[in-house]
Amino acid sequence: MLKHASVPVLLVSCLMLAVPPAVQARIKLITLPIRERVEIQLEHPAVTLVEEERIVPLVAGENQVDFSWANTQIDAVTILLRILAPDEEAVRLLSVSYPPGENALIWQVAAKQAGSARMRISYVLTGLQKRFSYRALTSQDEKTLHWSQYLAVENYANEEYPSSGIWVGVGGHLSRPLNMGETRQVLLNDYPSVALQKTYTADLQAYGYLNEAAQKLRVPMHYVLKNDAAHQLGQFALPAGKVRIFQADNSGGSAFIGEDWGQFTPLDDELKLYLGLAQDIVVKRTIEKSEQQVVAGNLYRHKVVIKYEIENFKNAPLTLDVREDVRALRNQLRGDNGRDVAWTLGEDTSFPGGLNPEKSTYQQLVFQAPLPPRQADGQAKKIVHRLALWLDNEWQ
Amino acid sequence: MSLILIHKTAGLRSIGALLWLLTASAVAQNVDLSTVPPRDTVQLTIYNSADLTLVRETRTLSVKPGINPLQFSWANTLIDPTSVELRFVNHAAELTVLDARFPHDKPQMLYWDVQSQFEGAATVEISYFTSGIRWAADYTAMADPAEKTLTLDSFVRVYNNAGEDYERAQVRLVVGTINLVEEIAALARAREQQQLPASLPEEDYRQANKQAMRRLEAKDEMMAGSVMAAPAVAMMAPKAVAKESLSEYFLYTIEGTETIPNGWSKRLRSFKATGIPIQVEYRYRPVEYGDQLVRLYLLRNDKLSKLGSTPLPDGSLRVFRDNGRDGLSYLATQALQYVPIGDKIELNLGADPEVIFELVKQKVWRDNLLMQLRGANVYQKLGNGMQFEVDSQVAGWDEHALYDQRISNYSKQPITIEIRRSYAGDVVFRSKLEPVLHDFQTVQYKAVLAAGEKKDLYHEIIERQGKNAKKRNIEILNTVVTAP
Repeated sequence: MLKHASVPVLLVSCLMLAVPPAVQARIKLITLPIRERVEIQLEHPAVTLVEEERIVPLVAGENQVDFSWANTQIDAVTILLRILAPDEEAVRLLSVSYPPGENALIWQVAAKQAGSARMRISYVLTGLQKRFSYRALTSQDEKTLHWSQYLAVENYANEEYPSSGIWVGVGGHLSRPLNMGETRQVLLNDYPSVALQKTYTADLQAYGYLNEAAQKLRVPMHYVLKNDAAHQLGQFALPAGKVRIFQADNSGGSAFIGEDWGQFTPLDDELKLYLGLAQDIVVKRTIEKSEQQVVAGNLYRHKVVIKYEIENFKNAPLTLDVREDVRALRNQLRGDNGRDVAWTLGEDTSFPGGLNPEKSTYQQLVFQAPLPPRQADGQAKKIVHRLALWLDNEWQ
Repeated sequence: MSLILIHKTAGLRSIGALLWLLTASAVAQNVDLSTVPPRDTVQLTIYNSADLTLVRETRTLSVKPGINPLQFSWANTLIDPTSVELRFVNHAAELTVLDARFPHDKPQMLYWDVQSQFEGAATVEISYFTSGIRWAADYTAMADPAEKTLTLDSFVRVYNNAGEDYERAQVRLVVGTINLVEEIAALARAREQQQLPASLPEEDYRQANKQAMRRLEAKDEMMAGSVMAAPAVAMMAPKAVAKESLSEYFLYTIEGTETIPNGWSKRLRSFKATGIPIQVEYRYRPVEYGDQLVRLYLLRNDKLSKLGSTPLPDGSLRVFRDNGRDGLSYLATQALQYVPIGDKIELNLGADPEVIFELVKQKVWRDNLLMQLRGANVYQKLGNGMQFEVDSQVAGWDEHALYDQRISNYSKQPITIEIRRSYAGDVVFRSKLEPVLHDFQTVQYKAVLAAGEKKDLYHEIIERQGKNAKKRNIEILNTVVTAP
């Protein structure tokens, strides 16, 4: 069996059936049909499907179509031959034979008369993979960003695909050559004005203290993109990939302000990109009150008041997200009894708008605190909010 | 392997194509002449549930009146010597097997002494079990772009690693489970391991050489197929695979004969069914599919579904979809378990990124608290102005949890989702979702979402804990549950 150095090879030999087998072994006519078309299907998250089409000359009677490969990781059990034309009355696949110890198979194909058949061979290939990345250029006011989605196809399959159609499930159908060992990156989708929300978050459980002795919290910043049409996205789910973030500067250029791994974001969901810690927002969190009341026997009701003293030293107003994990809070104050926390909000909770019902769950409470900009005298106004909670029906 | 008729006299008589002069036969100490009758026919009955193949081969011998020693040997193969049988296809009344002998110094050989009452040609059938040949089914399913119908190609692939080339063999495949008390491969090795190491006699060298030559030729013979000397212009059809039921088994017989050299495998189409109606359903069944919502193609192995002519044996099944852009999309590969005629077939395509499925626990509270006076077997419910001793403890309560099962369908098709969740203990499932009990601790309900629709399926779980728990099953309450 002939074998190319690396590529899958299709050989066609015509069996002269009236000739005894011993003679056939010595006299063979072999043609090498070239690829007419290649489609690389990369939409599956883990599997690359290659489809190649070849015009295969056949003689009347039985033909051997020998498909072999070397140095490529074709999954042999996935190889599929479909005869696209002519129809099954004229050309039929009879059987497939697998020689021992070889990366090869032999299709026995019967043809009613001599002529060419258009065949499509599909197989799963390892080493040909995709990678997504994003470039975000935010406006100076950080209200919108230019969102560019890039696709990189890495060809480590040890195989040349000089002219290939590429489909990754998002964006359009691409047509690019893929040379061996090459990575080819293309701009897949471009959204010039995506609505952006910048968030500041105070969440002890998730991000910890900036200064524990002073009870000052870390305040991380995020860009939040909602993958929906209202925010000028929402055409496809956003696959995971690295996001490099730039911001437009005053000179018409841009500055790199950080990067993060963007998680897979389904339609209508939010993509959060971590930017780092805000230096100009100071949040001091203290437990102002913690007292238990006996209901009966070992059954208690526990009152907790958490005070947040917040200062915004920025020149712009902003909204701070304040999050509390009530289970962590209960465990800190009363110990872990293994049960979920049954809580009710106290009347002296001061956050305007109260609990955010969309983002809160039974365990994670989310409030918003609007913060004014730094005052004209350069001082930041200290905003004080309280979260009052009853931890109901607690016992050890 | 070979069958040799040993001529103990000087009278030369050639039966087979090859003649071998044995110089050191275990039977004849002096110069002997033997003939090697070739196989006339061979039939392989291959089981997929065990490493077992029943081989039946026929050969034509020339016998003379009196005792005719026959040597049957199977060097370098995986034949179970305890299974080898000889039967006379014709002249049965005139031929008798006097005995079968297994020589001590030749592990893969036996001798039959056949008593003949006539002179002439006799056809014998030799049958035996061998390991090393197996078959497996595999399937390719291809859905149309709208996912309304499916084309199913079923294949059978025969693997020959038995150490023997089987040329122009009739191949029969058995679907079903059989019981074996000993493995054929172990039996094949057992006698060989009992033998002391010895150098191969000259005859075995010859056999090995002969087999090697035959192997060289076999590939080309196989490539030529078993339809020998057919006119080149005749259009050949794929081999038909006849299916018949046999007791608890199904027997597939491949049309014509096949040549499968040792080490090779061959794949043939068993059947092709087109236009099979399929239903697309989404299911959340963590016990079966893990903690994810999966998408399935549902179909049936019956006549209405253009299937049902045969059970579907175990095998690997690959699912593709015509992507509507003159190409295929790979969807999944799964191991199909045996599907009886009439049974349903579920093709699990995995999670669908276009359908978002999220369970959010929104609120937790407790009530119906039951207090026990410490040191006494006295219980009182909390509330109703009842006074409690300080020295009492919680002995029972109802734990309430409000859930929102959020589903968003971003696909372009309406979808049906079936959800199953299991709860241990004394549980109340409260909702307007029209749930049913799948079993005593599993609730099942369905939701239908139009393309682009989102739904919040609110439900409340009440778990009776401690002394409040009176039973271990689920009670369904059909009442409205709303967002907190």
